[in-house]
Amino acid sequence: MPEEGSVKEIPVTKSNGGGKFKKLRAVNVSGGSSDSFFSQSKRSGKNGNLSEETILVKRTLRSGQRLIYKGNIVIMGDVNPGAEVVAGNNIIVMGSLRGIVHAGANGNERAVVAAFRLRPTQLRIASYITRAPENDQHLEQPEIAFIQNGVVVIQRYSPSLLKKLV
Amino acid sequence: MGEVIVVTSGKGGVGKTTTTANIGTGLALLGYHVVLVDTDIGLRNLDVVLGLENRIVYDIVDVTSGNCRLKQALIKDKRFEGLYLLPAAQTKEKTAVSVSQMVDLCNDLEKEFDYVLVDCPAGIEQGFKNAIAGAHKAVVVTTPEVAAVRDADRVIGLLEAAEIKDPLLIINRFRPEMAKKGNMMDIDDVIEILAIELLGVIPEDELIVISTNKGEPAVLNQQSIAGQAYRNVSRRITGETVPLLKLDVSNGLLMRLRKLIGMG
Repeated sequence: MPEEGSVKEIPVTKSNGGGKFKKLRAVNVSGGSSDSFFSQSKRSGKNGNLSEETILVKRTLRSGQRLIYKGNIVIMGDVNPGAEVVAGNNIIVMGSLRGIVHAGANGNERAVVAAFRLRPTQLRIASYITRAPENDQHLEQPEIAFIQNGVVVIQRYSPSLLKKLV
Repeated sequence: MGEVIVVTSGKGGVGKTTTTANIGTGLALLGYHVVLVDTDIGLRNLDVVLGLENRIVYDIVDVTSGNCRLKQALIKDKRFEGLYLLPAAQTKEKTAVSVSQMVDLCNDLEKEFDYVLVDCPAGIEQGFKNAIAGAHKAVVVTTPEVAAVRDADRVIGLLEAAEIKDPLLIINRFRPEMAKKGNMMDIDDVIEILAIELLGVIPEDELIVISTNKGEPAVLNQQSIAGQAYRNVSRRITGETVPLLKLDVSNGLLMRLRKLIGMG
């Protein structure tokens, strides 16, 4: 668990048309990764050992189920509350994402999380942790989460945005 | 060959035993041969809900350990010819029955009955593993509460892992007026998360408490709305298509009239 002292406020922009600006509590857990192969690969450089391999999961992950993969994860189904997805690279959910996700778990800050409905209990990219603000109004549209200038940003998915990220 | 159906939920207190008793009685009411198996060893109550507590001589552990024959342990219901109960043991541990013994037991029962309903204990430990071991189908009971739905989701995942395909969902203790005001999860909210087929919605009903305490399942009470809902569920299990009960209380003609003349 991260120490109390490492908790800081980081802003999360939600530029979904109205350009809303939301503040999220975030915890920096760099070096706190629990899975050994992630912490090992971390030592070998920031983006070293980054796997571009991808697995496709054609089912819904339910509470208590955990999926860990070194590369990209694509899920055709939902990720329900209580389920956990951890990837070394990107995570794409073709459904509702309501559980916990951790993209770029080996420290890759260029990893993204995208979902048809992005409603994670907690969203982590590399060493950043965010959680959805209370009483948040959600878009009924695909959204994508990524790190920009040291901040986790969630935006409506668009092809032009994707070009910027890749 | 009968069908072995396990009634499970993960969370306790959502109405597994009440559901088992009512569906079982409902199926017997339709003329089927039904046996209800209580696998909640140490915390049995299916016998109480059915009002058969004082007739127990042998229990499920006596059967699996060979102390008695299966036929000796089966208790015939006091109301229906075709309804039987295999009670749980009250003074033994959950580990007194093994998975393979449970599979054998279900295989024996399905030869004699049209439906074998297994009442599963709360939790996901040994008792749960035993209860689902011999089942072909599963009914997952939840209430429209976040914690109950979360546990139901966990159980559905475990059922899928155990290759019990396509479990059916019962949403119990639903209060339409609360859901309408947004103070309770709506049926759609629950189905959106669990994404399994809905077998029925049982409205909250005081008569359930009364009938459970009396040992007379609510399906036998024509005044009980929950009883009506359980009768419909029983018919759906037999393959009949029965529309969901209309639970929208405020849209009745009387209410609309009252609103019209300013009394609503």
